[in-house]
Amino acid sequence: MKKILLILFLPITLFVMRAMVAPDQGEEANAKIKAIYIYNFTKYIEWPQDYKTGNFIVGVLGSNSSLLGELNKMASAKTVGTQKFEIKNIASAAEATNCHIVYILNDKSTQLADVVGKVKGKSALIVTDKEGLASKGAAINFVIVENKQKIELNKSNIERYKLKVAEQLVSMAVPVK
Amino acid sequence: MLQLKRIVLWMFLLVIVTTSYAQQSKVNAAYTFLQNSQLDSAKVYIDAAVFHPETSNDGQAWYLRGFVYKSIYNQKEKSDRQSISRIEALNSFKKSLSVDTSSENVQENIKNIKYLATTLYNDAGASLDAVDYKIAIDNFSKFLQYYALIDNSPDNIKQKNIDFNLAIASVYTKIFEGDRKGKLEYLNLAKSSYNKVLELDPNNIGANYNMGILYYNQAVNLINQSDYDLDIVALSDIQDNSIKLFKESLPFMEKAYSLDPRRKETLLGLSGIYFSLNEFDKSNMFKLKLEEIEKQK
Repeated sequence: MKKILLILFLPITLFVMRAMVAPDQGEEANAKIKAIYIYNFTKYIEWPQDYKTGNFIVGVLGSNSSLLGELNKMASAKTVGTQKFEIKNIASAAEATNCHIVYILNDKSTQLADVVGKVKGKSALIVTDKEGLASKGAAINFVIVENKQKIELNKSNIERYKLKVAEQLVSMAVPVK
Repeated sequence: MLQLKRIVLWMFLLVIVTTSYAQQSKVNAAYTFLQNSQLDSAKVYIDAAVFHPETSNDGQAWYLRGFVYKSIYNQKEKSDRQSISRIEALNSFKKSLSVDTSSENVQENIKNIKYLATTLYNDAGASLDAVDYKIAIDNFSKFLQYYALIDNSPDNIKQKNIDFNLAIASVYTKIFEGDRKGKLEYLNLAKSSYNKVLELDPNNIGANYNMGILYYNQAVNLINQSDYDLDIVALSDIQDNSIKLFKESLPFMEKAYSLDPRRKETLLGLSGIYFSLNEFDKSNMFKLKLEEIEKQK
């Protein structure tokens, strides 16, 4: 009756991998926030009547694959009234002339003056991504305040292009430095 | 009158001796049935013996009961991770241990409890999946309860607690990842399991890293689940909540980094957290460190 079977502790890892949790993409989250902002701009800003036909063109000057990916997802899911979104990755200021929104990314911010020159007399909303550009011709500039993505808004740089901005959007923006 | 008293006393003694003999013969019968592998009969006789007041504190009887039930477990219920006979056996050896402190009996009971407790631990491990994880928890809890009777070394128990909680956290995370919206409670269970590990071993790299990533992913997910037509005010609230989660993730990832500064996953994690907090210089710093390590390989 004293017979006892020999048994060993089997390592738990034999049964379940102590898997490392895979990280999600932070770049995509940042891009998503900007895409949501850009879609909101189309709700709070009004373009002139002759800009309300055809596609609603968002030109992106600069390289950011996550952002372009998010904007394309937005384009396939949303419209501006009856207008379909068209996202164009433009290579130069010259391609900005027929855009409703021109978004100049950080790496191309030196081209702001060229873009301002090219869209003169048109109705384009110029959006930038670098500190100080709202006072240098941009209508809306993305800024970081206490880790948070916010916007600076220069009302006169919006109205200069015959665009009407809702006071609600103005009030949600941080003052231009 | 005196004669009558004597008769009553003799009658009384006769009953006691007969009862005692009857209980002892049940124990003997159970032993014989066990030797002949007639386990069902052995069970009937030994149960009758140990639940009778005469033999309810007989260490040998309880030991025999443990052995009968252990044999039933081994022969009929080995594949049943919730075997009742195994628990009956453990409780019998436990009782035997408590009523018979002779050294031979103690050693035999300890060996049997160790054997059965180990099967509980191994069955807990084998049940660690999305379907049977509750059996795993139950078996592990029972393992701890019985193993504590025979091994007082806190380090042995601590390491097994760490191993089990790391494993169950992985199971909870897998369930949550399968349905992030519908199974949110499993995210909290995973965090709670990693917290248990960190209470026992604050320098556990895996628990620190995974805890950091759980908070990080929760924050990223909060943003990525948002619809494009989310109002700016609502977006602001979501950003506030996600920043809070990114900041909660940071100390765990920093700790994992301090424990192993060359671990690629941690560098990638820190780069991601700082990027999400819009602290791009710090994010790039960790990205560069990662690139340097990858170049060296």
